[in-house]
Amino acid sequence: MKLGRYQIKLEKKSGFTGWQAAVISIVAILFALFLVGFIFLQAGVDPALGYQEIFSYAFLNPFGLPLTLNRAVFLLFCSFAFIVPIRAGLWNIGMAGQAYAGALGAFAVALALGAKGSQTPSLPGGALVGLMILGAMLGGMAVGAIPGILKGKFNTNEIVTTMMINFIMFWLVAYMIKEGGPFMGSGGEGEGFKLTESVRPPLFKDTPFTLWVSLALAALLYILFARTKIGYQIRAFGSSPAAARYAGISPVKISLLVFVAGGLLAGLAGYHYFAAVPGLYKIPKNYGDFGDLAFYGIICGLISQGNPLASIPLALLFGGLTNGGRFVQGKLQLGFGIDYALLGVVMIILVAFQFFFRYRIILKKAEKEN
Amino acid sequence: MTDIKHGDIVLAAKGITKRYPGLVANDRIDFEIKAGEIHAILGENGAGKTTLMSILFGLVQPDEGEIYAFGKKVHFRSPLDAIDLGVGMVHQTRKLIPAHTVLENILLGHPKAGTILDMKRAGEEVAQLCKHYNYPLDLNAKVWHLAEGEKQMVEIFKALYRGAKVLIMDEPTSALAPPETEKLLESIQVMTRDELAIVPFITHKLPIVLAVSHRVTILRRGQVVARLDTKQSTEQSLAREMVGRDVIFRLERGKAARGRSILRVENLSAFDDKGAQALTDVSFDVHEGEIFGIAGVSGNGQQALAEVLAGLRKAKSGRVLFDDAEISHLTSLQRWQKGIGYIPAEQRTVGSIGNFSLVENMLMNYHFDDAFSKWGFLNEKKARQLTEALIAEYGVATPSPDVKARGLSGGNLQKLILARVFSRKPRLIIVNLPTQGLDVGATEFVQNKLLEARKSGAGILLISEDLDEILALSDRIAPIYEGKFMDVIPAESAVRETIGALMAGLEKKAAA
Amino acid sequence: MWEFYARSFNASTIFMVAALGELIGQRAGVMNVGVEGAMLFGATIGFIVAKTTGSYLLGFLAAIAVGAAIGALHGFFSITLGGDQVVNGMGIWILGFGLTAYIGYPYTGPLGLERIPSVAGISPFFFLGIVLIAVAWFVLFKTNVGLKLRSVGENPSVAEVSGVNVVRTRYLSVITSGMFMGLAGGIYALDYNPVWNYNFLMGWGFVALALVFFSMWNPFILLGGSVLFGALWQLSLNPELLFEDTVSRYIWRTVPFVVTIGALALMSTQWFSSRWGAAKPEALGMPYEKD
Repeated sequence: MKLGRYQIKLEKKSGFTGWQAAVISIVAILFALFLVGFIFLQAGVDPALGYQEIFSYAFLNPFGLPLTLNRAVFLLFCSFAFIVPIRAGLWNIGMAGQAYAGALGAFAVALALGAKGSQTPSLPGGALVGLMILGAMLGGMAVGAIPGILKGKFNTNEIVTTMMINFIMFWLVAYMIKEGGPFMGSGGEGEGFKLTESVRPPLFKDTPFTLWVSLALAALLYILFARTKIGYQIRAFGSSPAAARYAGISPVKISLLVFVAGGLLAGLAGYHYFAAVPGLYKIPKNYGDFGDLAFYGIICGLISQGNPLASIPLALLFGGLTNGGRFVQGKLQLGFGIDYALLGVVMIILVAFQFFFRYRIILKKAEKEN
Repeated sequence: MTDIKHGDIVLAAKGITKRYPGLVANDRIDFEIKAGEIHAILGENGAGKTTLMSILFGLVQPDEGEIYAFGKKVHFRSPLDAIDLGVGMVHQTRKLIPAHTVLENILLGHPKAGTILDMKRAGEEVAQLCKHYNYPLDLNAKVWHLAEGEKQMVEIFKALYRGAKVLIMDEPTSALAPPETEKLLESIQVMTRDELAIVPFITHKLPIVLAVSHRVTILRRGQVVARLDTKQSTEQSLAREMVGRDVIFRLERGKAARGRSILRVENLSAFDDKGAQALTDVSFDVHEGEIFGIAGVSGNGQQALAEVLAGLRKAKSGRVLFDDAEISHLTSLQRWQKGIGYIPAEQRTVGSIGNFSLVENMLMNYHFDDAFSKWGFLNEKKARQLTEALIAEYGVATPSPDVKARGLSGGNLQKLILARVFSRKPRLIIVNLPTQGLDVGATEFVQNKLLEARKSGAGILLISEDLDEILALSDRIAPIYEGKFMDVIPAESAVRETIGALMAGLEKKAAA
Repeated sequence: MWEFYARSFNASTIFMVAALGELIGQRAGVMNVGVEGAMLFGATIGFIVAKTTGSYLLGFLAAIAVGAAIGALHGFFSITLGGDQVVNGMGIWILGFGLTAYIGYPYTGPLGLERIPSVAGISPFFFLGIVLIAVAWFVLFKTNVGLKLRSVGENPSVAEVSGVNVVRTRYLSVITSGMFMGLAGGIYALDYNPVWNYNFLMGWGFVALALVFFSMWNPFILLGGSVLFGALWQLSLNPELLFEDTVSRYIWRTVPFVVTIGALALMSTQWFSSRWGAAKPEALGMPYEKD
């Protein structure tokens, strides 16, 4: 292509360094925020003011910051649930369904052991919390195993299956908490029952303990991929399934493993938001919003290039943006769904910027025509 | 297009030069072809044949030089320009769509195909063409059902139906069994009587050049080193010009003590990916210190056989015994651990992982080895030391063990794979097309390594399309055709012509 | 009873048209997993245009046009930039999901136009859908452009050396593909269920994507699959039309998704593929680069 006296050439990159990836990602996010600025303009709000409000509420406001952190932890678990399978080249877009399954697992334990409403459960709170977490993990794992087995055994398209399971779990939660379902709360407003005091886990500095769990998991997963045998096998399978099979790595084992692990991690996300975040302690009527939020996990996972540590700041950023977005909607009288618009725009810009991971653009003085 | 008389120059290239970074692929090449002539272009891999061919067909534009078609200067911006001017190409890797019918393939991209395809008229015209060249084809058959020789004829008919007056043929006989080659050469000779000009590009198979062509142009390192009349050349003189020195085609096979039977295959049958039977009732054994060669044109079940033995494909029926113990149900991992090594034909997609470093590629055969991991953590230092040692031992040309495998040349990658597999000291090695696409030096290296492994007592199952390679290396030879062994012949009594015929399915003998 | 059949046919129309769009794209080698996103765009923009102008015609034209634009966008990412088609399709879906939630929100609620007349409860679009299927089959298998389209989906480099413009052919197919998806969204929002709500498709597009895999890339099998899934979907929405006193409606809603997983699993088994052959376009999902 020619541009004036210069010639633009595209050259394939054979790889990129960590900081190159970081720069490209940051530019992509800034560009997406710039585009969303037009949405502010169209709604008659100065974008600078809009972003200032969003960021100050999300990260500086004493009411806003804990909400941001809660969202960020949820997103972080969802990012992990996306990252583990994507390192094996498999797409898990079923974080929403797996998170619902985790929530159902946790609340099933609570219900069975009498931790509902004002009842007094038969076990001490600590033990119950442990069992609920176990229930959440098992719920997520069970749902994650389905696409894992189908992919490993029959090579069934995992995008379709995980998405189908999202819808199945969405309606299953509705069945459980609404219209006389087993988990319905006493109020009859179509929401789940509330947990008793004793199983509400303690907070450290206004944040649930799951924050620390998520950070520890980031480090663990990082080490898993960088140093361990199983991490190597997952990466090998993700780079070339045929070569991995040749090297004695079983596709069934890897597919099942990554999806069960993904389900487990998303299950923890479900536990975190519905059973550990202060002020909720139930499956609310609008649980679908949390499922929608789970899709940010895809974005964090893609931007971080599958690096669990890099997804920490991303989860924090998007947790803050969605939280602040909700806030400015009310404050500045914007239309509903600025956070949804942001989700869409960031994603598509990210897709467009994938290009820069594969090519470098070279600008040089045009040579004479031959 | 004007009428063409015999002997008119139909296509000419003058001073063709093409440079790539660090390489002059074509250096002032002159070339011409006359109507009714067969003018072969001969050269080793890397001599610049592919570049010249791509330029003549418009796939690549030369940096310097001119092309003349029918006396007029032309400029090929794309293959379409070349096709429009009557230059047709018959590719080595068939440019046909397997899922489509013969007729659909011939019609694809034809300017007169019409908006709504007139299959009836086109079918009649193509059938006419088939009749003229005495090569009957079922035009409604799907291409993937066809034999290799038939596919090639479809390509030829496709070019002729588009009005080609010049046919460029890339390695026209490389994938054909000897009888198919005969048939092709007959058709080509009919074509020259119709004043077609034919330009075969050839690497090996010098006798074929001598048999059919009128003139030969020989390339070496991007330059024309000789233009000869075929009548005045011999196989030896052509080879000397091609390589630049006298060549002796010989490998020192030496003697190896043939030990006891290590692999035993009993009545093995298997399906291919499409679910068609690829391998039928094959039985044989391989001994320690022996190279058992399977000779056949690709697509006759060798791939399925190699994969079944490596544990990558399920057998339909039959048994596989290693060291007298049945291994039919073992996974590929268990087979590696037992001492079976597999070197696949697909270096890039199966034998290595392109975006892994060489150290990580080395781990493909060591990640399961307890000596290389502890508590689930890989011992990276040890893997690196091993990689460095093997790179040095096998002479893999690479700046560091941290580069990605994608960047290695075919020869170096094959050395790396060989080093990796051999370093496990396997007692049985299954090796599929080990020298495919390698240059002379790398080929020699790989073949010597196989002989070394044989000498040290490993049993080797060698699968190859190259009859010379099979004859040079094997202790016993099994020609394979349509998934069946035609015979098993000891090297001492192997006759080239007989094996060639058996590879083509002729002289079917009852299995011994 | 007839009401159930009629509604099933109407539901199947949406699957039929959307999946036909996806089939056309996939036949040319371009997979768009973001069918749902393209449909959401068609549905939302079509709804807004129809509601503000009061014209169904303009609504449908807008739905088709926005579908074409989304198809072109997917084409730009997948053909020109040559990126991973799955990533690009995900982008299309999440963009559609996120942006339409915002754009459409002020228009939440019923369309407020007189319903499009139907024939004994069957929407005219059902018949249009069948015609489109037949036309698509004819074009794909009997015309030159269809041959070119299938060829670039099987092996673009072969098509290229035969003189087919791969890039142009693929763009043509993804844009057509997007138009069908946009139209399907429009049919949903303007005819089948003219009440806008955020993310109101709830999986139609993903089921349509699965239907293409079921169809083995054959428009007529796709027609059959669409009718079956239309009936199944309708049953899950209104089980009371066929059964009295049944399990919770929420459990019914999961049925089409469960069946989709089951059918997809069955189709991907060795048993199935060795009997019915692999009709999948060889180059599906692979970017094409010259040289």
